[in-house]
Amino acid sequence: MKKTISVLFATTALTAAIAIPAWSAMRAPASIPAADAVETILDTAQGTTPLILVDDDDDEKDEGPRRGGNDDDDNEDDDDEDDNDECDDDDGACGAARNPAPAGTVTPPENGLFGSGTAPKAQVN
Amino acid sequence: MKSILALLALTTALTLPGVAMARPVTLTTSLNNYGGDGAYLAVYVTDSSDKYVGSLWMAGNKSKYYQHLTDWNRATGGDTAQVNGITGASVGAGRTLEVTLDLADALFDAGYTLHIDAAVEDMRDSPNEVAVPLTTAGAGKPVRGRRYIASFAYGM
Repeated sequence: MKKTISVLFATTALTAAIAIPAWSAMRAPASIPAADAVETILDTAQGTTPLILVDDDDDEKDEGPRRGGNDDDDNEDDDDEDDNDECDDDDGACGAARNPAPAGTVTPPENGLFGSGTAPKAQVN
Repeated sequence: MKSILALLALTTALTLPGVAMARPVTLTTSLNNYGGDGAYLAVYVTDSSDKYVGSLWMAGNKSKYYQHLTDWNRATGGDTAQVNGITGASVGAGRTLEVTLDLADALFDAGYTLHIDAAVEDMRDSPNEVAVPLTTAGAGKPVRGRRYIASFAYGM
């Protein structure tokens, strides 16, 4: 009997030792029921903790040529050092030139090839 | 009254040549099923001494990839102003791009050559994929490209 009581006492003391600091850390307002305390903590954390975006560098699958090699079959070179393809900005602001204006937004360049400022029409079938 | 008529005649005389000196030209480019992403295409013109004159169309709107259009890039220094207002989306494998442009008559039968450079992500660059003299007799006659372009033709 004494043994049972002492085991009960020990487990109760151990539970209290763990639970009291954890309960204190939650610090839920007294007006909020205990069941909503976890939700309250998450809401608070969203407001104060900044989100950090992590790039795993594996999402570079983008349209367009990325590692096209030189056309010379006998002069293969695996050196990618001149490729600036890690830059994923769509506005071209990564040391590269800005992206050109799409057709229809500005007149074609005055290079003597175009008869007038008529906007070109393009379609892909 | 006479002065108004004279003014009308003058403006008409000045306007008509401009209208007559250009014509709509349709460039039709069909791609092979090469099994890759959308192709970037640079369409440009050189003169009889193989000197770059200007660009007609750029398929692909991200300038960071233009370095793979090697001949065009070398000729222009990658200057995106060359393709402002004449740029559209890249072209998928097996698709056909049709571009209609209002081109100067002086381009035809005057020793000019139309070139197309092509590039596809993770595949070989293909400069000078197509090189075709701009002549009225050559209109409507399809030519094959070297790697990605199944056929190219210009129609007037």
